[in-house]
Amino acid sequence: MGVQGQAGLQKARVPQQEKKRIEALFGRYINRGQMKYLRAGHLDVLETQRQGVGFTDPYSGKRMYDCFTSAGSFNVSRHNAAVMQAMEEALDEWDMGSFGLMSEPKLALAQKLVSLAPGDLKKLFFASGGGDAIECAIKLARGATGRPGIIATIKAYHGHTGFALSANGKEHYRHYFEPLMPGFSFVPFNNLEAVKKIISKDTAAVLLEPVQGEAGIFPAREDFLKGLRALCDEYGALLIFDEIQTGFGRTGRLFACEHSGVIPDIMTVAKSLSGALFPNAAVFYRDIPRLVDFVEQHPDFHVCYGGGSDIGCRVSLKALEFLMENRVWENAERMGAKLKNALLELQRENPKVIKEVRGLGLMVGIEYGYEFMGPLMSDALAQRNVFAAYSGNAPQVMRFMPPITINEKEMDEVIAAIRAAIADMKRLLPIASIAAKVPGVVKLLNSERVQTSVFSFLRYFERSGGKA
Amino acid sequence: MNPTTNTIFPKARMDRLNALGLGIAEGKREGAYVYDTDGRRYVDGYCSAGTFNLGRRPPELAAELKQALRETDIGNFPMISREKAHLGQALAEFVPGELECSLFGVMRGEAVDAACKVARGFTGRPRLLSLEGGWHGQSGFALSLSQREDASLFGPLIPETGMLPWGDLEAARSKIDGNTAAVILEPIQAENYCREATAEYVRELAELCRTNGALLVFDETQTNFGRTGAKFAFEAMGVSPDILVLGEALGGGVYPITVTLMTQRVNSFLNKHPLIHLSTFGGADVGCRVAQKALELYTRMEPWKNAREKGGLLMKGIADLVMAGGSPIRGAVGKGLLISLDLVTPEAATEFCRKAIVNGLILLPGEVARHTVLLRPSLLITEGETQEILAAITAAAQ
Repeated sequence: MGVQGQAGLQKARVPQQEKKRIEALFGRYINRGQMKYLRAGHLDVLETQRQGVGFTDPYSGKRMYDCFTSAGSFNVSRHNAAVMQAMEEALDEWDMGSFGLMSEPKLALAQKLVSLAPGDLKKLFFASGGGDAIECAIKLARGATGRPGIIATIKAYHGHTGFALSANGKEHYRHYFEPLMPGFSFVPFNNLEAVKKIISKDTAAVLLEPVQGEAGIFPAREDFLKGLRALCDEYGALLIFDEIQTGFGRTGRLFACEHSGVIPDIMTVAKSLSGALFPNAAVFYRDIPRLVDFVEQHPDFHVCYGGGSDIGCRVSLKALEFLMENRVWENAERMGAKLKNALLELQRENPKVIKEVRGLGLMVGIEYGYEFMGPLMSDALAQRNVFAAYSGNAPQVMRFMPPITINEKEMDEVIAAIRAAIADMKRLLPIASIAAKVPGVVKLLNSERVQTSVFSFLRYFERSGGKA
Repeated sequence: MNPTTNTIFPKARMDRLNALGLGIAEGKREGAYVYDTDGRRYVDGYCSAGTFNLGRRPPELAAELKQALRETDIGNFPMISREKAHLGQALAEFVPGELECSLFGVMRGEAVDAACKVARGFTGRPRLLSLEGGWHGQSGFALSLSQREDASLFGPLIPETGMLPWGDLEAARSKIDGNTAAVILEPIQAENYCREATAEYVRELAELCRTNGALLVFDETQTNFGRTGAKFAFEAMGVSPDILVLGEALGGGVYPITVTLMTQRVNSFLNKHPLIHLSTFGGADVGCRVAQKALELYTRMEPWKNAREKGGLLMKGIADLVMAGGSPIRGAVGKGLLISLDLVTPEAATEFCRKAIVNGLILLPGEVARHTVLLRPSLLITEGETQEILAAITAAAQ
């Protein structure tokens, strides 16, 4: 379902007063700063009529394409009818269930997951979300090897709880919360030589995203992954893939590791396992003595009350069935290629605006010429009915991760919107580019806080008089 | 179906379940009860570690979630939403004092980690202190602050964390200083034979935090929403924490959601640095709807009153049993419907759980004090169900 043909969904207009009321509540009880930040990029939209590949902005009545999808959580699309029905039925019978106790939904999902997992990743724990899955994975690696060292990648994004945050490779998320755990070191992504220099008999694991997401969509090269596999085997370290964003069809395969054929020892999945409706996550691990022996000695080393719930497992199972029955990863591959080719063409036409286009399947990123262009483009795209977020980690990078169910016509519309938004933004560039030549101004423009203030002022100006 | 014969989950966990008599599959569930797939009925005295405060599958919450899932979904996590805003407001009204601002999570450990991070961010100080014997969760910060035998397996944890010896004010005075970001405590250490901090001790800790510019964090994931006979334990102690961590009982066992609540003053840090602590599923819009409905139920039913009353009956019955002699229960400690039985040895605790389930009551041992068994049923249990629990405990003690 695209922006067109959505007349039935366009009724849910909300008066501006109501929006102001919600904003006031959100500002007081949740976070005022977040609201200002979102407003600056025209992202202060209340998502209503969440359906298919998008949602309605109830204030303007506009249908928006969701190209963020909570960082890849809505692979099966929003309000997928089959998943909704499974959840409704589950609610007649199940609740979350008790952690530790068995149940039919838990067993059914576990069996389904291991049947789909590559190689001998035939054992698993449930977790409550991506960060929790990473906590479990790192604990398993350190526990099983008895070693402290974790090698992660620069700009990596794994989550916000203690272990995961310690593995985050960007200062932005760590700075205020130091000191974090010792034993974590960081290497440039796709740089095997750097890993060779620091891997040792103290290394418990090498942890990475097969495609770095939040960092700005950097797919791992096949020789890098194969090299890591060999290095880990040589040093007795474990290889952990964080497939939280890349899993369940996003990259054109069910799991991104299938592209290279490299099987990790531990693999985390989350986001789209939720069917866009109910939290769930899992940590796969290989059926090998080193891992199994540790787990058998410490079966409850990481317990989790929120993940692997009975309702959640019913929802996840249906989401998986939907993906499998419709072979949705094949669509992700086709639509991803279409999007990437279109963006490469735009890059040729606008070499000063688009520095690079990267991606794998429907995990596609644009890197703009300057950091300040990310928020500017978010803004321009929002005006063209596309919700796309720049990376908090790297504002010059914008991710396009729509539901992988997106069809040809919808993809065309998204591409047309990106094209138009670039044209819109280019009108502002002469001013910005001249300003950028003044020493210090680029740094200033690139500062998130300055952007927030400047754009907030522009919004205010727009609302108070700029627009009829 | 024998659910414990699978090869996906750890065999040792399956063995432990069997040793506890819990080699069953949970099937139908309703109120105080859960049924196995053979149709046998049990009183749920475990409630997934205090998640099911409102009983199993509360029909109002299931109905609300059904309605909510047609209208909304998980939502894009960085976005503003009416569901988050309304739940934030409802929590501010529900929770006493000035704890007005919400940071949502999916699980309790995550909410504890968020509290620790906010404390460091707000104060600009590194040191985090907990109380000995605590059990705050499984994630990095929470684990670093918990008393766990296995903590050393996971390598070097979060630096600048430490534990205060239980009840020792002198030690607290020497350890809480200008380097301290926060002191975090459970008002009752549920997994540690329900050890309860005295109000006097906690008030002194609060004062030490205040004079040193450190934050006081209450982890009420085990005691919240009426479990101990008060809406929250901190209220009864007469202190005002700067940060309050609430657990899975917020979603009533129908949707996983937890929250880290803080004062406006403390939230100024997050206002300055929005989206610096994220959770994809935390504060999911559908989950916010469930939690808001749960708050309505808590407000309407005031289950803490029933917890007080039925907890009193249970404690009296158990005390009589202990007094009568000949039972393996050496003693019991409890507050409201958070009750811990002393079985002397871990083996006896396991044996007791096994006998309890044969008599229709699901119980699990404590995680810190493994010689204890925890009893934490639905807060809405009736007089008849209370007698049923007592009968099962009596039979198991034979």
